[in-house]
Amino acid sequence: MLFRRIYQFLLVYIITIVFLFMIKILLSLSDYVIPGVPLMIETTGQVFKEYFFDVMNTMSITILGQCLSIIMAFTVGIAGRKSSWIGSFIKVTAYNIQAYPIVALAPIIFILLGDGFIPRLLIASMICYFPLLLSVLGIMATPVKDIEHFYIVTGRMRWQLEVKIRAFENLSKLTTVISGSATLAMAGTIVGEFIAANAGIGYSIRIALYQSDLAKIIVALFMIGIIISIYQGILETMGEQIKTRWSISKKGEVL
Amino acid sequence: MKINNFISWLVLLFLISTTNSFAKETKVNYRLKWLFNTSVAGDIYADAKGYFKDAGLDVDVREGSPEKNAINELELKRADFGVASADQVIRALDKGAKIFVIAQLFQTNPMQWIYRTDQPEIKTLQDLKGRLIGITFGGNDETIMNTLLAKAGIKKKDVAITGVRFDFTPFFMRKVDVWPVYRNSQGVILKERLAKEGEDVYFFNPADFGVNFVANSVVTSEAMLTKNPDIVQKFLNALLKGWEAAMDPANEAVTLEVVKKLDKGNNDEIRKKQLNATRILIKPSVSIRIGTIDSTAWKQTETMMLTEKQIKNPVNIETRLIQLK
Amino acid sequence: MRLECNNLNFTYPDSKVAVINNLSFLMEKPGFKALFGPSGAGKTSLAKMIANPGFRADGRIITENIDTILYSYNLERLPGWSSAGKHLNKVTSPEKQPLKERLIEIFELNDVLNSRYSQLSMGQQNRMNLIRYLLQDFNLLILDESLANVDEKLRETIILAIKELFSNKMFLYISHNLMEVSKFCSQILVFGKPSGNKGCFMTQGQDCKKGYDLDKEKLDITMLEIMNAF
Repeated sequence: MLFRRIYQFLLVYIITIVFLFMIKILLSLSDYVIPGVPLMIETTGQVFKEYFFDVMNTMSITILGQCLSIIMAFTVGIAGRKSSWIGSFIKVTAYNIQAYPIVALAPIIFILLGDGFIPRLLIASMICYFPLLLSVLGIMATPVKDIEHFYIVTGRMRWQLEVKIRAFENLSKLTTVISGSATLAMAGTIVGEFIAANAGIGYSIRIALYQSDLAKIIVALFMIGIIISIYQGILETMGEQIKTRWSISKKGEVL
Repeated sequence: MKINNFISWLVLLFLISTTNSFAKETKVNYRLKWLFNTSVAGDIYADAKGYFKDAGLDVDVREGSPEKNAINELELKRADFGVASADQVIRALDKGAKIFVIAQLFQTNPMQWIYRTDQPEIKTLQDLKGRLIGITFGGNDETIMNTLLAKAGIKKKDVAITGVRFDFTPFFMRKVDVWPVYRNSQGVILKERLAKEGEDVYFFNPADFGVNFVANSVVTSEAMLTKNPDIVQKFLNALLKGWEAAMDPANEAVTLEVVKKLDKGNNDEIRKKQLNATRILIKPSVSIRIGTIDSTAWKQTETMMLTEKQIKNPVNIETRLIQLK
Repeated sequence: MRLECNNLNFTYPDSKVAVINNLSFLMEKPGFKALFGPSGAGKTSLAKMIANPGFRADGRIITENIDTILYSYNLERLPGWSSAGKHLNKVTSPEKQPLKERLIEIFELNDVLNSRYSQLSMGQQNRMNLIRYLLQDFNLLILDESLANVDEKLRETIILAIKELFSNKMFLYISHNLMEVSKFCSQILVFGKPSGNKGCFMTQGQDCKKGYDLDKEKLDITMLEIMNAF
């Protein structure tokens, strides 16, 4: 799973580089516009270490932001699952806010909170929060009658058990939405940094843009791609392991 | 019959209009280095007063920004002419770009840094240590500051470099102490603003420390020069005519008027001061023709960049300077 | 112990036809009773109504000495995050542990206690579900096809064991197996064809207990009587 993601990314990346070289040759562009191989190798050597730390910086914000948003989504999703007025209010708000591109709020966040760690974390968590919340709300609000019936009629149902039953029944959906939100969070963090931060790989890309240094940008894109592929691969593998451990039985799929 | 007649007239009219358009001006794109302000008064003047039109050229004068790069646009054929500083030109040549310099606008480099007098004066380059310095990434100030620091043997970690753009807020809020300015434009604005708050300023001039880079110059592509030398000549003539007129004190009121139309966010008083400051840098004396290329200064810039390893190989810049008559 | 209803009617909100139409019956004494009839006749609907406290509260269903009614059906599932045995333990109170062991033995589930519910066969799943209900406190337990997918011999063993171990409880057994209900149930509420004229009627079953001697003739009469309802 993990290796497949990395292969796929490398394939797409190499195709893109080849495409760039083709344009370079076709339009006879100098290294100033599209760097040649020697220049790319040289630039890689110059900025690889720096960009690696930048990506790790961005990645740490992304992961932290995602964890925060998972916790928030579950808390609010569980609290809002009843069809009380709070539940309905939360549902409607989440639907409406998630339609808005959160990353467009990045400039306002940076103006109000500066361009340090907290605003970047806020953007990362806000971006993946709303889709997560909607999924969790949907899952938590849907009874699993066939399992819950026994506990309800025998008076053994508790809210913790109800949440556990519904979460477990929809484990595939949850792991999918969490892996998906990883890309969302990373993209959003990078864009936020690009717009207004002073740290992270998005910031480094912005500087490279100002310096018209496509070689640096290509290196940065490689780092981003590799790291996010690894991260998603890990998330997917974890998801599979959780499913195996809790034994979503594959018995029926064998024959 | 009537319909046929009508259609024939329409076709004729259409043909006439399209033929006319072939006889009209040649479309040309001209990318400046920064925003529209008094610093580019000549460029604006030439366009506003129809000098390009008179030369048979339909010139689209476009303002620049950190994200835009004139040399990139020349290569990608999105621009026919552009404005770039010497370090940008030399760096591009080092990477194989095929460009030529056809005019040098600033005879003296306006790139300086402004800082408040409540800070110690920068008397030697060592005094830069520990300062909060702003640079525009991708701008000539980045190259100049790197050269200064290398000259003084100061490591990057001994200074706090912050990337800056159009917004002066970090300077006002003292997040950045030493702010990059063009002496004739932002320098004027900031000095005035601080004066209002009762604060006085110093200007840190790289030239005082032996770092003399050539600033804004007009560039074009090799293709343009070889294939359309007549357009290049026409363009340059019209452009320099605009600059001569804009820098003429007799035309001050007109110049300020045309700049005002495009320069958002400044007032008349500031613009007047800026124009006076610009004049000295573009046309230091009556005898110097605007656009004169100072080969010595260019060679010096190349040598400095080579020494500081900002370029890999010599580019023989003198072979790329075309002083058109 | 008494379960009674008089002229019970019920129509689902989005239906024009009454699913329960003027139903009256009386079931007394603990034991194994049956609801028997074709699909759609209203057996499950009646069962759910009996299990629903609301119907007892407003007097449409009358009970005596029946406090706790549990309704179980064959589509129920156990949670999947630990083994079936663990889940069973969690819902069994300490004093019922010996009973649990006994039932597991009878229901032939010893070998699957460490498996997860999804890994069991359908018959094993139904038996596991039934066991956990039997280990709860109840006066009346409704078994809606709860022994589906279980082979005939084991079903007989189970029913006889339930009758012996829970002789003071009432069971309502919903099944399509004519011979089975005729053999093991004391009372059988037969649902006529929904669209036919024949309504519901109560008949006696053979109520065979463990170590029984089967009276074939009487069994045939019971079965014929029921068949004539359709």
